[in-house]
Amino acid sequence: MKKYAVYPGCVMPTEQYAYEMSIREIMPHLDIELVDLKGFSCCSEPIKSVNQMLTLALSARNIAIAEKEELDIFAPCPMCHLALSDCKRVLDTNLMMNKRVNSYLTDEGLKYTGTAEIVSILDLLHDIVGIDKIKEKVKKPLKDLKTATHYGCHLIRPSEIGRSDDAENPQKMENILKTIGAKPEYYPEKLDCCGALLTANLPESALTKTGQKLQRVQEQEFDAFIDTCPWCHRQYDSKQIKAGETVAAKLEVPVLYLTQLLGISMGIPKEKLGLNLNLSPIEKLNLGGKKT
Amino acid sequence: MTITDLTSMGESQTELKKEINERLQRLQDEISDYCYQCAKCTSGCEAHKLLELEPHKIVALLKKGLIDEMVNSDVIWTCMSCFKCRERCPQNVAPVEVLFALKNIAVASGQQIPGNYTAMLQSVLSMGLLQEVKNVLTRDNKTVSRTNLGLPEVSKPTDHTKFQMMLSKIAVEKV
Amino acid sequence: MSNKIGVFVCHCGINIASTVDVKELVEYAKKLKGVIVSKDYKYMCSDVGGNLIKDSIKKNKLDGVVIACCSPRMHEHTFRGVVEAGGVNAFNLEIANIREQCSWAHDDKTRATEKAKALVRGAVSKAILLEPLERSKIEVTQKALVIGGGIAGIQAALDLAEEGHKVYLVEKTPSIGGRMAQLDKTFPTLDCSGCILTPKMMEINNHPNIELLSYSEIKSVEGSIGNYTVKVNKKAKFVDMDKCTGCGDCVEACRMKDHVNSEFDEGIGKRSSIYIPFPQAVPLKATIDKDNCLMLKRGKCGTGALCVEACEAKAINFKQKDEEVEIKVGAILVATGYDLLDPTSLYEYGYDHSKDVITSLQMERLISTSGPTNGEIIRPSNGDKPKSITYILCVGSRDEKECTWCCRIGCMSALKHVYLLKEKLGDDIEMNVCYTDIRSFGKGYEEFYRKIRSMNTNFFRGRPSEVRNLGDHLTIDIFDTTTNKLFEINTDLVVLVPALIPRVDSDDFARKLRISQSGDGFLLEAHPKLRPMDTFTGGIFIAGCCQAPKDIQDSVAQASGAAARAANILSKKVLEAEPLISYVDEDYCSGCSTCISVCAYNAIELVKREDDKQLAKVNEALCMGCGACVASCPSGAMQQKGFKDYQLKPMIEETV
Ligand code: SF4
Ligand code: SF4
Repeated sequence: MKKYAVYPGCVMPTEQYAYEMSIREIMPHLDIELVDLKGFSCCSEPIKSVNQMLTLALSARNIAIAEKEELDIFAPCPMCHLALSDCKRVLDTNLMMNKRVNSYLTDEGLKYTGTAEIVSILDLLHDIVGIDKIKEKVKKPLKDLKTATHYGCHLIRPSEIGRSDDAENPQKMENILKTIGAKPEYYPEKLDCCGALLTANLPESALTKTGQKLQRVQEQEFDAFIDTCPWCHRQYDSKQIKAGETVAAKLEVPVLYLTQLLGISMGIPKEKLGLNLNLSPIEKLNLGGKKT
Repeated sequence: MTITDLTSMGESQTELKKEINERLQRLQDEISDYCYQCAKCTSGCEAHKLLELEPHKIVALLKKGLIDEMVNSDVIWTCMSCFKCRERCPQNVAPVEVLFALKNIAVASGQQIPGNYTAMLQSVLSMGLLQEVKNVLTRDNKTVSRTNLGLPEVSKPTDHTKFQMMLSKIAVEKV
Repeated sequence: MSNKIGVFVCHCGINIASTVDVKELVEYAKKLKGVIVSKDYKYMCSDVGGNLIKDSIKKNKLDGVVIACCSPRMHEHTFRGVVEAGGVNAFNLEIANIREQCSWAHDDKTRATEKAKALVRGAVSKAILLEPLERSKIEVTQKALVIGGGIAGIQAALDLAEEGHKVYLVEKTPSIGGRMAQLDKTFPTLDCSGCILTPKMMEINNHPNIELLSYSEIKSVEGSIGNYTVKVNKKAKFVDMDKCTGCGDCVEACRMKDHVNSEFDEGIGKRSSIYIPFPQAVPLKATIDKDNCLMLKRGKCGTGALCVEACEAKAINFKQKDEEVEIKVGAILVATGYDLLDPTSLYEYGYDHSKDVITSLQMERLISTSGPTNGEIIRPSNGDKPKSITYILCVGSRDEKECTWCCRIGCMSALKHVYLLKEKLGDDIEMNVCYTDIRSFGKGYEEFYRKIRSMNTNFFRGRPSEVRNLGDHLTIDIFDTTTNKLFEINTDLVVLVPALIPRVDSDDFARKLRISQSGDGFLLEAHPKLRPMDTFTGGIFIAGCCQAPKDIQDSVAQASGAAARAANILSKKVLEAEPLISYVDEDYCSGCSTCISVCAYNAIELVKREDDKQLAKVNEALCMGCGACVASCPSGAMQQKGFKDYQLKPMIEETV
């Protein structure tokens, strides 16, 4: 059993419950123990535009909390993962910044030391658990499910900040999906952004970005759209109807978290994976086992 | 001697440019002077088609030190941080990071922060998270809470006074 | 021991004299022990200056000379000649560098003068202890090796052969011709590439002084300037060269016909397993590619090898083995050319996602009338004639993530293609060129660019971020900085103009030849301005794109230049070697071999003396006098002539 402090961030634990449920369900089956720690806060990446020092300090603060328990960190949200990794990169290479940021943490009795490793959902599933282990656990392989993958910008870019997969040709989601029997296929819009970060000030534009991408996915007749980011998922799943309205299209694309699909293939009951919380038309898929 | 932009009468702000370059270096990013205006960034910018953001122009203006012009414009708030410009720039320049710097400067100089950012900041300040824990709808239109779904209590800062003290210190800081 | 030393101080115009008080220095030098005359002059390196030194030597019967002037890198060689002409051994000369190390580095005249005095004092103390040295003689093998049979190698081989030297030309592939043979026309004159190249290839074939070793690779290189021993691996062609008539019947008959990717056609066309790369190949002989031959791979080709059946000359021989030949030459000229960057490393440009995204060299093969489509321009995906073609320049060039340098031919080759494609497909063909800067620097290039500008072509100043494959066509968003607008280009064929990179095996190759590479991996010239064809290794020269990207005219010019440099050596029967090399003091050597490990030139070996004592021994022909072994020797046994410890120590003591 490998142990990780799970760093939940904000969007997942305050509304994207399906992601959290599916993660908490599948990880023990894959011999990953998730440890909940008290005291975490926002990583502040979403408000980096306002003050980037805040982002560095809050990210360092969260890393320090896990370091205190001598645990590595699993950050399921790609945006959190980027913030923590970027903070680590800056503080580990620039002593002056390290000192400055640490000076903010002393009041809470915390210290960033740089000992904790920070892993993302893909690092964990693809590289740490590994394809072989996943293969072992598949009980109900998906069949002929033509899937479009959406990595989420922050999971793969910018590559200078040690991202989880190749920036231009990411394949880890595809590898996992193939292992559980799905049929991931390439589409030209694969690397496009969901627009979520514009929600704060230009919500209409954010939805347009979401709608445009989903529309292209729909045109290319994918069965399902698979993501790993609570921000993206909120756009593509929770707000799919609205996104469709902005681009004047009727969108009916089933959207699932990678972890949900993985759970299904492992034979975990739907309720436990939060499938009841997906608002996109997932009933179109005959999930829960082989097609009959 | 100075150079002046005759369309806006703006002058090159060399000190501020230097400050931004130093900031970029502190964050391990390449300074923008290496940009040779190939516009690969703008060709692929996720915000360009929709909102007319031109990252290559942002970089060009910074190179000339015409910073106020950008700080006073809404266009810097149209970036969606997709990082494509940075990823693909042949000169390792990072327009997206320049935009973060410009937005930080706009906020620090008292410009109005657009949209929801203030609310998000407030929320982080008051409870450590971007937003309140929400109840959500299920596919069959029922409202459920975290607890209903069997999820543990959300992790938040334990000592609020100390947490807020820290935030108020950083609020006036810049990178 | 010298005790009649003359000190000569140069003003170097005002370069030295404005910061160092020359008169005071001359007076000071006169008082130094061992010095009997001291003089100054405005330009010591001039004829007058030289005569002044010579006259002083004769008049005062000097036995040692110190010249206080610029760096020894500049004029040491000249001055050695001067003192020798005056009657003093060339190595009883010591230079005190009072320009680079003094006048140029300081402003304060008083203190600079003091420093100059110290430098002269040190130089004099060493000059007293210098010993006369003799240059040893090296007999030269008056033959040359040229590695690489592209246009640069061809030119160099012909030049050297015309000078009367025997030349071995080693080419890795089955035919010479190189990149130029792949081209249709050349810019900016639109000369037919083959028409101007093939006569030269034939000349190589027929020249009595040239021995061509095709399909051969360098295995090892030993020796030094004047005398290199090179082992060459002649790869088995499985075809008897004497019997093969080059008729090509075997190629037609091969069971694998049209199944193997043709290297010459850049993978756009197919060939057989037995092949002649192109119709004008030299030598015009067939070669079997053993990795794709059924007989050689599986020991069985259907019911019998079809090539054997087809060959009337009975030239095919599956038993042929690689053959190692040893050649001895006095100079080596390297012209190994370049590779193209594989555009998949810029994944965003879709080279992996669509057959209709090709490289400029692939387009060259499509344009070529002897190419896989006989010069017909098609979309590789479906064979249709394209209605719109889009060029993307600087693919991986001028790119910090890929190749930091400019490829120097991309812009011009794209402009050339515009011309040729308009000519072939008619003016209706939509031509788009996405460029960052058009670099048209050569003779006639800008004029050519002007002509293309009038040819109904869409120039976009900008760089696409990606190429998307929409199934039946490709689409590109490009922001054009001339109009400040974002354009969507829907197009049939995308041509990427990739960076030029060092040969993929150039690290290994450079190590084999003991020559240096620059940071970018290309082979390094000894000086970028003044010795652009020399390497740091005596007797080895470079030409063409192995040194850096360049166009045909520059490659040819550099090749002729390099050939002339090599001929400098080859035209002499005997070379004189610098005597400032290392030697071992046998009494102190413990045989620890530390020196062997630091010597970059493999000049030291361990030998056994009659009494069985292990000793280091310096090969005088190989030693370059770099001094690395001297510094590394723990027992002080290794010494360098002209820089012996006992000569240097007083110099240091006097100077500091
Ligand atoms: S991609 Fe880079 S070099 Fe090109 S214009 Fe943008 S910032 Fe400048
Ligand atoms: S990060 Fe911002 S500026 Fe850069 S490409 Fe994305 S939206 Fe455009």
